[in-house]
Amino acid sequence: MTYRLDRRQVLAGSAAALAFGAFGIGRAAAATHMRFLWWGSKERADRTFKAIKAYQKSHSGITIEGESFGWDNYWTRLATQTAGGNSPDLIQMDYRYIFEYARRGVLLDFTPYMGKSLDIKDFGQQNIDSGKVDGKIYGVSLGVNSSAVMVNLTAWKEAGMEPPGDDANWDDFAELCAKFTKQTKRRDYYGTADESGLEPAFEGWLRQRGKALYKDDGSLAFDAADVAAWFDYWAKLRKMKACVPPEMQALDQLTVETGMISQNKASISFGHSNQFVAYQAINKDKLGMIPYPVPAKDGKPGQYLKPAMQMSVSASSKNKDAAVAFVNYLVEDPEGTKLLGVERGVPASEKVRKELAPSLDALGKEMADFIQKLTPKVGPLPPPPPNGAGENQFLLQTVSQQVAFGKMTSQEGGKSYVEKAAANIKRG
Amino acid sequence: MGNRHDSAAQAGRIALPDVPAATAPRKAPGALSRNAPGYLFLLPWFIGFFGLTLGPALISLYLSFTDYNLLQAPNMVGLDNYVRIFTADDKFISSMKVTLFYVVCSVPLKLAFALGVALLLNRGIKGLPVYRAIFYLPSLLGSSVAIAVLWRQLFDSDGVVNTLLGHFGIQGPSWISNPNYSLYTLIVLAVWQFGSPMIIFLAGLRQIPTDMYEAASLDGASKARKFFKITLPLLTPVIFFNAVVQTIDAFKAFTPAYVISSGTGGPIDSTLFYTLYLYQEGFGYFRMGYASALAWILVIIIALFTAFSFLSARYWVHYDD
Repeated sequence: MTYRLDRRQVLAGSAAALAFGAFGIGRAAAATHMRFLWWGSKERADRTFKAIKAYQKSHSGITIEGESFGWDNYWTRLATQTAGGNSPDLIQMDYRYIFEYARRGVLLDFTPYMGKSLDIKDFGQQNIDSGKVDGKIYGVSLGVNSSAVMVNLTAWKEAGMEPPGDDANWDDFAELCAKFTKQTKRRDYYGTADESGLEPAFEGWLRQRGKALYKDDGSLAFDAADVAAWFDYWAKLRKMKACVPPEMQALDQLTVETGMISQNKASISFGHSNQFVAYQAINKDKLGMIPYPVPAKDGKPGQYLKPAMQMSVSASSKNKDAAVAFVNYLVEDPEGTKLLGVERGVPASEKVRKELAPSLDALGKEMADFIQKLTPKVGPLPPPPPNGAGENQFLLQTVSQQVAFGKMTSQEGGKSYVEKAAANIKRG
Repeated sequence: MGNRHDSAAQAGRIALPDVPAATAPRKAPGALSRNAPGYLFLLPWFIGFFGLTLGPALISLYLSFTDYNLLQAPNMVGLDNYVRIFTADDKFISSMKVTLFYVVCSVPLKLAFALGVALLLNRGIKGLPVYRAIFYLPSLLGSSVAIAVLWRQLFDSDGVVNTLLGHFGIQGPSWISNPNYSLYTLIVLAVWQFGSPMIIFLAGLRQIPTDMYEAASLDGASKARKFFKITLPLLTPVIFFNAVVQTIDAFKAFTPAYVISSGTGGPIDSTLFYTLYLYQEGFGYFRMGYASALAWILVIIIALFTAFSFLSARYWVHYDD
C-alpha cells in the first residue's frame, strides 16, 4: 500500500504548487481590500455601489466591499464590529456620534493628510470645522443639509388647495392641514404626520423660542413647560384632525420608507433636505420641500446647516492611505461626486457644486435651491450633544406616544421627559 | 473505602499475582484511546460549547461587574449595575412585566393548541406526514424576520385582518401600532408556532397503550372520560417537558418584538421584551456591562422557573413505573 512518487508526478506537482504560489503572490500584491459601512435608503445604496465600482475600475488592485444598513441597525453594527476589532476601514459618520467615537480613539485624525491626499480646502473653514473634535479633524462632510418639510404637491392640488408656503407660521400650518384633511378625497388621509416625537422638529421649534436641546456643558437647555407646550401644539392638531391619529403615527419607524408621506397616510412628513431624493424615489406623487414653519412673531431662526453625514476612517485600518484617497474621491473627484450627486446633501465644496450644477436633475436642483434659499436664514450649529443624547431621541418618541394615546397629559409628559432625559445624560 | 480497596487488591494479588499490578496503571490511557474516536466526533460540539457558549457566558458574567462600553477597556464597578437594576430602573420592571405577561399567556395557549391539533392528527388519518409537515411549517419559519414582517402586514390598520373584519362592518384598530393590542399580536404569533410541541405530543400519544382505551370502552367510559382519565394523565410527562421548554423559549423571545417594533419596543414600550431592553442597553446605548448584568438576572429567573417546575412536577406528573 505504499505510494511511490515518480519523477513526472513530482514535476507536475511542483509546477502546480508554483502556479498556485504565484497566484497567491499576485493576489497579495493586489489585495488592498477595504470595507465601507453606511446607512441609508436603497437610492443611496445604488449610488454608492456605482461609485465604488467606478473607483475599482480606475484603481486596479483595490477592492471595496460596501455594506448598507438602516439607521437603527447601523449603529449597533458599527459598535459591535468596532468592539470586535473588526472595524470597517471607511465609516459613514453622523454629527451625533462623531464625538463619542473620536474621543474613544476609534477614528483616524485627517490632519496630516490635509492638502495632500485629502484636498478639501475649498470646503470653506466652517465646513471643515464641522468635522473637528478637540481640534483634530475626524470627519469629512459628505454634504450639507438642513431639516425640511416634505409635501405631497399632487395631493394638495387634488384637494384644490395651496400647500403651506415658506412663510407659514405654526398656526397657519395647523389651520391649513386641518382644512386639507376635510377637503381631500383620499380615504384615511391626513394633512400632516404627527411629528411630536421627532427630535429635530422639537429642536427647531425650541431654537425659534431662543432655547436649544443642549447647553455647551451638555445639560438640557429647555424645561418641562417647553415640552408641555410642544405636546399641546400637537394635541391641538390631533383634535382638529390636522395630523394622523396616534396608532397610525406609531407605524413610522423613523425611516424614509415608513414615514407617513411614504405610507400614503398624510400629505406632509418632516425630514431632512438630503432625504428629498429618497422620498421622491418611493412616492408616485410629485413632492415639494419647504422649511419648518416660522414662529408667530420675533422668532429666531430654528434651522441650521449641518453636515448631513461625514466620512471617517478607522484608526485601526490597515489601508489608511488608500482609505483617505477614496474619501477624497467621494467629495472632490468629478466622477465620484457626480455619481453620488446630492443624495447625501449638497456638497460642501463650491467647486464641486458648480461642476454638478449642469448635470443635476430637477430633484437635485430643487434641493440645492432649498439650501441656497435657506442659507441666509439659518442659525449657528448647536454645541456637540452629550453622551446619552442618542437615547433621548427615542425617549421623546416614547413620551410623545404616551401623550398622544392619552396615557399622560401634556404637562405630565413634559415633566416626565425632562426628568428622564436629564437622568440619561447624567448616566452617559 | 481505602481499606476495602486495598484488601481487594491484595486478594486479587493472591489469586493472580501479576495481573492487577499490570492493568491498574494501564487502564486509564486504555479507556481514553478507546473513547478517542468518540471524543473526536464530539469535537465540533465541544468547540461550539466552550468557544461560543460557555466562554462568552463567563465573560459576560465578568462584564456584568464592569462599566464596559464596547469601545473602551472595561473598569470594575462592583455591584453597581445590579444595584441600579433593582433600585432605580423602571424599564427593568416594565419590561419584566411585558415578558411575564407574554410567557403566562402564550405558553398555555400554545400547548393547548398543539395538543388539540395532535389529538386531531392522531386518529390514523391518511396523509398524516403531509399534515404534520404543514402544521410544523410555521415553527420552522416562526422566528424569522420575514414572518415578523408578514405579521406587520396582517395586523396593520389596513391589513388583512382589518379587511376581513371590514366585511362584517367592524372597524378594527391598527393592532400592531396600538399599545393596547400590540402585545396580543405577538402572543398570537407565538401560538401559531405550535409545531414542535405538537410533534412531541403526537409521539407521546402514540406511546399510550391502546388496550387501556379498549378496556375503558368495555366498561362504557365516554370519550371525555377516556381523555381525562387515560390520555391526560399518561401524557403528563410530555406536557411537563413541553411546558418547561416552551417557557424557557418564551422568556428568550426576541426577534418578533424586535422586527415588529423596529427595535424600539414601542408603541410606548408595550412590546419591550426583557431581551429587547437588554439589547437596547448593550448595543444601542453602549452599556454592555449593564446589559450583561440584565442578562444574568434573566438566567437566574429562568433557572428559578425551571426549578419550580421540577419541584411541582412530583405532584402532577405521572411516570409510568
